[in-house]
Amino acid sequence: MDIFTIAFWIIAIVLTVISLIKDKKKTFAAMKKSKGMMGNMLGEIVAIIFLIGLVLTFIPPETIKIVLGSANTFVSTVVSALVGSITLIPAFVAFPLVGSLVDVGASIVPAVAFLTTLTMVGIVTFPLEKKEFGTKFSLTRNALSFGFAIVIALTMGVIL
Amino acid sequence: MKAVSIVKKNKLLFLVALAYLVILVISPDKAIKSIGNSVYYLVEMLQVLPVIFLLTVVIEALVPKEMIMRGFGEKSGFRGNLLALLLGSISAGPIYAAFPISKTLLGKGASISNIVIILSSWAVIKVPMLANEAKFLGVNFMIIRWVLTVIVIFVMAYITGMIVKKKDLPVDSKKAETLEIKEDYCIGCGLCVKLLPEYYEMNQNKAVVTKMPEGKEAVLALKESIEKCPSKAIILNKEEIVS
Repeated sequence: MDIFTIAFWIIAIVLTVISLIKDKKKTFAAMKKSKGMMGNMLGEIVAIIFLIGLVLTFIPPETIKIVLGSANTFVSTVVSALVGSITLIPAFVAFPLVGSLVDVGASIVPAVAFLTTLTMVGIVTFPLEKKEFGTKFSLTRNALSFGFAIVIALTMGVIL
Repeated sequence: MKAVSIVKKNKLLFLVALAYLVILVISPDKAIKSIGNSVYYLVEMLQVLPVIFLLTVVIEALVPKEMIMRGFGEKSGFRGNLLALLLGSISAGPIYAAFPISKTLLGKGASISNIVIILSSWAVIKVPMLANEAKFLGVNFMIIRWVLTVIVIFVMAYITGMIVKKKDLPVDSKKAETLEIKEDYCIGCGLCVKLLPEYYEMNQNKAVVTKMPEGKEAVLALKESIEKCPSKAIILNKEEIVS
C-alpha cells in the first residue's frame, strides 16, 4: 500500500471512531444505508475490473497508445467527452477503468474529459432534468458542462 | 424465477463471466492472462473500497445536512455558494438523485446559481471518491482536477444564473392534500412500506401510495416516512405542512 492510501485509511478509521463515540445509533444506521448502496454496485465493480483484464490482454498497449495517446489529442478528447456524456457507469468503477488505460499509455487529456462528462453531463438523464428544471436550464447546464469538461481536460494536459 | 432476476440485476457481471468462459475454451492462456491482469486491479480496489465505505458512513452520520440546507437563500451570496458546494460534495449517489432535493431547495428560495453548484458538485466531486481517484490516477492528478473543477463549477453557476431566470423553470401545480411517490426517483428500498404499510405498498420494485392521508395525525405519521426516504421521492402536497 502506498503512503496516500494508508493516510486515507487512517483518516477514515479515526473519523469512524469519532462518529461512533458521538452517536452510535446514527452511525450504525448510516452503515446500513451505505452497505445497501455499495452492495448494489458490487456486481458492477467486479464486472468492470474483470473487463479491464480482458481489454488489457486483447487490445495491445501499442494500440491504446496510438488511439488514445499520440494521435490528434483534440479529436480524441472530444470523442472521449461524447462517450462520457452518453455512458452511465458509476464514477466508482470509472477510476480503475481510466487508470488502467493511462497505465498502458493513454493520454490523460481524453481521460479527464471522459471522467468529467461521465458524471456532469447526462444525456440519458436529460429528460428527467428537463421535467424538473425546464428546457432552458437543462440545456444551459449540460452544454456548459460539456464545454468546460474539455477546458479542464486541456488545462490538465498543460499542467501535468 | 429468482435466478432470472439475479441475472437481470447483474447483467454486466454475467456477460463478462460468459466472455471468460468462451475465451477459456478457445485460448486458455489468454484467459489466465486476463485474470492475472484483473487481479492486480481487484487488489487495488479492495484496498480503497473500505475507505470509501467508512467515509460515506461518517459523512452521513456526522454532517448536519439540514443545517447546511438552511444556509442558502436568495441573498446568501458567496457563503451560500460555498455551502452549496459543500452539500453537493458530501452527498452520495448519481446526479439524478440530486434533482428532488434541489427542487425542494428551489422552493425554499435557493438561487439558480446555487442549484447549479449543488448539481455539478454532486455529480463530479465526491469526498469519499477522492480516495478512489488518488489511488488509480495519482494524488497530483486528483488535486489538480479537483481545483480546476471547483473553479469551473463557480464559473458555470454564474453564467447559468445570468442566462436562466426563475420564471424559466416549470412550476408544479399544487393539489390539496395528495400524497405521491415520484416513480423516477424511487429506488425501491421498501423503507416507507416497512414504516407505514397502511399507506405504501411495493409494486414491481417501486413503492406506490395506496391511501390518501386524512387529518392531522395521518400527516404527522407520514412526515417520518417523507424524511426517511433516501431519495426524497415522497411528496406530500399540502401548503406548509412539511415545514
